[in-house]
Amino acid sequence: MNIIRNYIYQGKNLFRDGTFLFWAMVYPIILAFFFNLAFSSMMNVNFDDIQVGIEENNYIFPILEEIEFINIHKITQDQVDEKLFNEEIDAFVDSDLHLTVKKSGIRQTIIKEVVEQIKQTVKLNRPIDGTEFSVNYVAGKNQESNSVIIIFYSLIAMVSTYGVFAGIETASLMQANLSNLGLRINATPLKKQNFLIAGVIVSLLLNLLANTGLLLFINYVLKIHLFTNIAYSLIFIILGNLLGVILGIFIGVSNKKSPNVKTAIAISLTLFLSFLSGMMGPWIKAIIEKYAPFLNRINPISIITNNLYRINLLGNTKSLGEGIAVLLIYSMVLLIGSYVFLRRKSYDSI
Amino acid sequence: MVVKVKNVVKRYEEKIALDHFNMEVNEGEILGLLGPNGCGKTTAINCILSLLKFDKGEIQVFGRKMTPNSYDIKRQIGLVPQEVSVFENLTVKENIDYFCGLYIDDKNTRRQYVEEAIEFVGLKDYVRFYPRKLSGGLKRRLNIACGIVHKPKLIFLDEPTVAVDAQSRNFILEGIKKLNREGSTVIYTTHYLEEAEMLCNRIIIMDNGKDIASGTIEELKAMITTLEKIVVRFVNIEDEVINKMYKIPHVIDIERNGEDFIIKFENGINNLSNLLSFIAEYNLTYIKLYSQLPTLNDVFLELTGKELRD
Repeated sequence: MNIIRNYIYQGKNLFRDGTFLFWAMVYPIILAFFFNLAFSSMMNVNFDDIQVGIEENNYIFPILEEIEFINIHKITQDQVDEKLFNEEIDAFVDSDLHLTVKKSGIRQTIIKEVVEQIKQTVKLNRPIDGTEFSVNYVAGKNQESNSVIIIFYSLIAMVSTYGVFAGIETASLMQANLSNLGLRINATPLKKQNFLIAGVIVSLLLNLLANTGLLLFINYVLKIHLFTNIAYSLIFIILGNLLGVILGIFIGVSNKKSPNVKTAIAISLTLFLSFLSGMMGPWIKAIIEKYAPFLNRINPISIITNNLYRINLLGNTKSLGEGIAVLLIYSMVLLIGSYVFLRRKSYDSI
Repeated sequence: MVVKVKNVVKRYEEKIALDHFNMEVNEGEILGLLGPNGCGKTTAINCILSLLKFDKGEIQVFGRKMTPNSYDIKRQIGLVPQEVSVFENLTVKENIDYFCGLYIDDKNTRRQYVEEAIEFVGLKDYVRFYPRKLSGGLKRRLNIACGIVHKPKLIFLDEPTVAVDAQSRNFILEGIKKLNREGSTVIYTTHYLEEAEMLCNRIIIMDNGKDIASGTIEELKAMITTLEKIVVRFVNIEDEVINKMYKIPHVIDIERNGEDFIIKFENGINNLSNLLSFIAEYNLTYIKLYSQLPTLNDVFLELTGKELRD
């Protein structure tokens, strides 16, 4: 059979599928809209307003003074409580580099991160002058950076795996024991591997199209600019898509549950992993990082979220290999698992 | 021989779906697989197409062993499954074109075949419709078009007229005859007796996974003892006279069905005139009297002890 025709018709069938259209295209936009509604006030933080109290003789005084989004207040130890109480300062850094704050928040978190990095740099005996805090924490590229943005990275990570729905649909069409159409297709001379390859490619392309729709919506309608490094970000989005499609095929071929049950499994799984990766609030991610950091290393949506955050917010493009490797390993394992089910050519029952 | 099925056994755990099932299909014929729901007709088709594993026996299609990888054999086969099996998100024409493209590579030939199939099933006015917008009968026609569009040598039609209105049913049956005239061998499963009688050159009667009888309609009817039934309603008749009716040549049984008597004869020669002579001899008066030749249902009833539509 003409392979291109197969791609076109599978693509048409999938693109017109209500389940796919809703979950991959409409639902993420609705989520993004409501996230923006809920968190927009938290995202409009002006980093020039971060006020840090410090004693003049503290050795990091000159370093903090150089950071453009921090305003230094020379104060003494006796003034700390009053200044914090009156909210004249967001935090006080003592001579041991301990932080005193009145409340927790984004500004306090950023100051803490800056101080932590200074501590590490000192421990490593590296020259502090070389540290680029503006690159690490802020918008060296006019990025509206804050921890709430992680919610949007998590949303994009989740949606990138929504190829899972297309994968489930492809799987049901390939197996004679899963759908009537699958039975009919299995009686034709179409080879399973051709149908599978077409299904994976078409699913990938359509889900990437859906992702593009979401990104355009976030960028142009919500005016949230998430990407400063498109090329590296695309690597993780594409890997998320690949993993999603193959996960869908695995869910599709590994059991005989109804399509609705399979869709429910896919939604629950991706939503749960997204929750763990901080989509419902960055606090969950922080808790996991504290008590079970291992989970953040193996949760594929966390991997994508973390790397999008590092690439675009922290400007860090080093050590991306680990995340790429883990996502590829997941995809390979699921692909092999799917093959075990797919290679069965005749069925015990239909 | 187009299809040969020899002693095939198929089990679903404890249940035997095919019990040493045999079937032979000759080129150019319409073979009917007749039997009640659940008797194994669809299982037999799925085994022949190598979609289902079977436990024992041998299946050959076009003289070769059928396997899931027999793509060259599959290329010559068309399947019209029992359930409507089309892409819900492709239009009528796209569906037919998709399935045609699985068999036919040449673009012009494919285009011609698709147009012919649309014409054949009478869906010309619906080519842009999605299947969900079609009535049950039109969906069935689309289901058929997708199975026959590539002009296969061998066509399996698995109960294609279930839940179809009378108009679409006639249309479908006439279409199948036409396909056969054009050279296709047809294997047609049904539990409708009239369809089998109207359509098939040869019939295999199935029950509980077994082929209990096979032959032409005449051959099947010849297998049973009751070859003619005459139904008669008398104005008045005494039991004594009824008993004397057993002396009419070839009468094997007399049943009472309400006010009617069903007189069964073991062969079909001069039974009516013999009965009329008896009526004249005993000066009986009748209200109605008609003869019934045996039907496939009678054959099924006698062979299995139950009605086909039980």
